Amino acid sequence: MEHMERKLTALWAKYREACPDPEPGPDFMPELWRKIESRRNAALSLLFRRWVEVCVLAALALSVLVTTLLIPHSQRSPVYQYTYLDVLAAADSSQDAMVLPGGDLE
Amino acid sequence: MVVLIEFEVIERARKGDDAAFNQIVVAYRKRILGTIARLIGRPEDVEDVGQEVFIRLYYSLDQLRTPEVFEPWMYRLTVNAAYDYMRRQKRRKESRMSDLSEQQVMLADASAGGKENQEELRRTGIREFVHSLLEGISEEDRALLILKEVEGLSLKEMEQIYKVNENALKVRLFRARQRVLKAYAAGQGAADPVE
Repeated sequence: MEHMERKLTALWAKYREACPDPEPGPDFMPELWRKIESRRNAALSLLFRRWVEVCVLAALALSVLVTTLLIPHSQRSPVYQYTYLDVLAAADSSQDAMVLPGGDLE
Repeated sequence: MVVLIEFEVIERARKGDDAAFNQIVVAYRKRILGTIARLIGRPEDVEDVGQEVFIRLYYSLDQLRTPEVFEPWMYRLTVNAAYDYMRRQKRRKESRMSDLSEQQVMLADASAGGKENQEELRRTGIREFVHSLLEGISEEDRALLILKEVEGLSLKEMEQIYKVNENALKVRLFRARQRVLKAYAAGQGAADPVE
């Protein structure tokens, strides 16, 4: 086993020699900066998409709120419980009431 | 590990100075590419993985607490990018079993070339032999062994990179080495480059 240990140590050295530090190619730096830029743009467009999604969700939530809570609530107010003619009639009769009780017109 | 750049440059890069970042890349690219070459063993993909390391560095440099821990941190990014590459390769290899090995391709090239190609063929043979031995262990253990045995990092340096204590590292290294040793002994005689 000791013999194998020595051989393995020698193999690591040979492997080190078989994989020398490679010289970076001439395109290494320009390509790196291009990748950095494209990732930055991708991150920005993702951020923008998230922002749009949040806005759409907020608009949706608001419209649900308006249709389920605010509209029924406002429809319960007295003005929606009578027709236009009822309101006119009521206004008319109240005018009569103002004139008739005194009886001065007769 | 010898520090290749002044802390002041790292500090400037950390604050978003692109020229300082460029200086870091120029200073470290050869060393990082060498480590990647030995970790992944495929020369044609070394630059891609190297660029990935520096992209990760660019976008995480502001999280570096102090320039003193820059090197172990850089090694950690390198090891992680190499893991990711090895995992992708493993999946790709499983789905393309019929592809020619690197050695087979080199053999075809060498038969048409001269002495230079023969030398490259010998190196490719060593690389493939070592990688076949390392196939029996996990990507993590493989990286550990290469950093220790081939890159020559000390346990102290590895402790900083992996953020685990020295004893845990020793145990893991010992087990990984034993497994490789066993595979080596089992495959004795099969084109052993040390013989």
